[in-house]
Amino acid sequence: MVGWKMHEMSLVEALMDTLLEMQRRQGWSKVSRVTLKVGKLRQVVPEVMVFCFEAASKGTPVEGASLEIEEVPLASRCTRCGEEWSDSESLGLCPFCGSADVELIQGMELLLESVEVELDGAEIGRN
Amino acid sequence: MPRLVEIRKSVMEADEEIARRLRNMLDRRGVLMLNLIGSPGSGKTTLLERSLIDPPFRSAVIEGDVETTRDLDRIKATGVPVVQINTHGGCHLEANLIERALERLPEDVDVIFIENVGNLVCPAEFYLGEDHKVAICSVAEGGDKPLKYPNLFHQASAVVLTKVDLKPYVPFDEVTFWGDVDKLNPKAARLEVSAIKGEGISKWIDLVGGWLCAKRERGS
Repeated sequence: MVGWKMHEMSLVEALMDTLLEMQRRQGWSKVSRVTLKVGKLRQVVPEVMVFCFEAASKGTPVEGASLEIEEVPLASRCTRCGEEWSDSESLGLCPFCGSADVELIQGMELLLESVEVELDGAEIGRN
Repeated sequence: MPRLVEIRKSVMEADEEIARRLRNMLDRRGVLMLNLIGSPGSGKTTLLERSLIDPPFRSAVIEGDVETTRDLDRIKATGVPVVQINTHGGCHLEANLIERALERLPEDVDVIFIENVGNLVCPAEFYLGEDHKVAICSVAEGGDKPLKYPNLFHQASAVVLTKVDLKPYVPFDEVTFWGDVDKLNPKAARLEVSAIKGEGISKWIDLVGGWLCAKRERGS
């Protein structure tokens, strides 16, 4: 039976959908490395994500690829005083001037940055 | 020869696209959609049941649940249109599931409440096309939840503290709870309710009604 799906597995499933769609369209025969940028606020445990990725990629052209996760630290900026800080405890309140006009400028990323692939000979140059 | 391909795109792009489409459709119809997020047992269904008794707007509900139709049966008993999504192990709802659920709901409603799967992490990650996320937390869970799940509390337009009738019986640190909500999201609306006793429910209904009016004024 289907068990409780961990948080990272949901994200890996979305990643696999994206990768396999691109693989079909761009004619990659094999994917050997995947680089992902993950914001700190996503609360992803890299080891768990890699474990899920290995399980989800079995039997696909992505099987055996390494997953490299680059964590993007939090960054907030106060639109009133212009100060910037990195602290998950003050996501909405400027610790310098107390203003609530605060924007999160990084930390929510879930970006497929790059892949290292092998191409089918006939498909080289096509997009 | 291996080749490096630069991509730089959101992993969630496909689902986010569906969510944007849903939002556009609901904007055209002037329908408000709320995404209720809280732990199992935080009181989401009871709050909904109470909210559906004679509100000043026409409601519909999308019930997200891992298994069983128990919540669905409770909402059905109120007479409001409701659709169940069983995720069978999945810990959150996604826009493609909402799209199919919306096809099974009547179009002539004012407010659609989505009861997300009981969980404070994943449901906050997936945009469903909703107008507002609502964080729901009970006094029984303790006052430390906002900082432990900052993403949800940061994104929520409202934080609803439930089961406040239990305050005398449980060690709930109110100062920490609301203080942390302040730091994470000073703009969020704050409510304290007891769905069982009815305390704070009219304020909650007023908040939802206010969101609906604001949306329709923007759209007209």
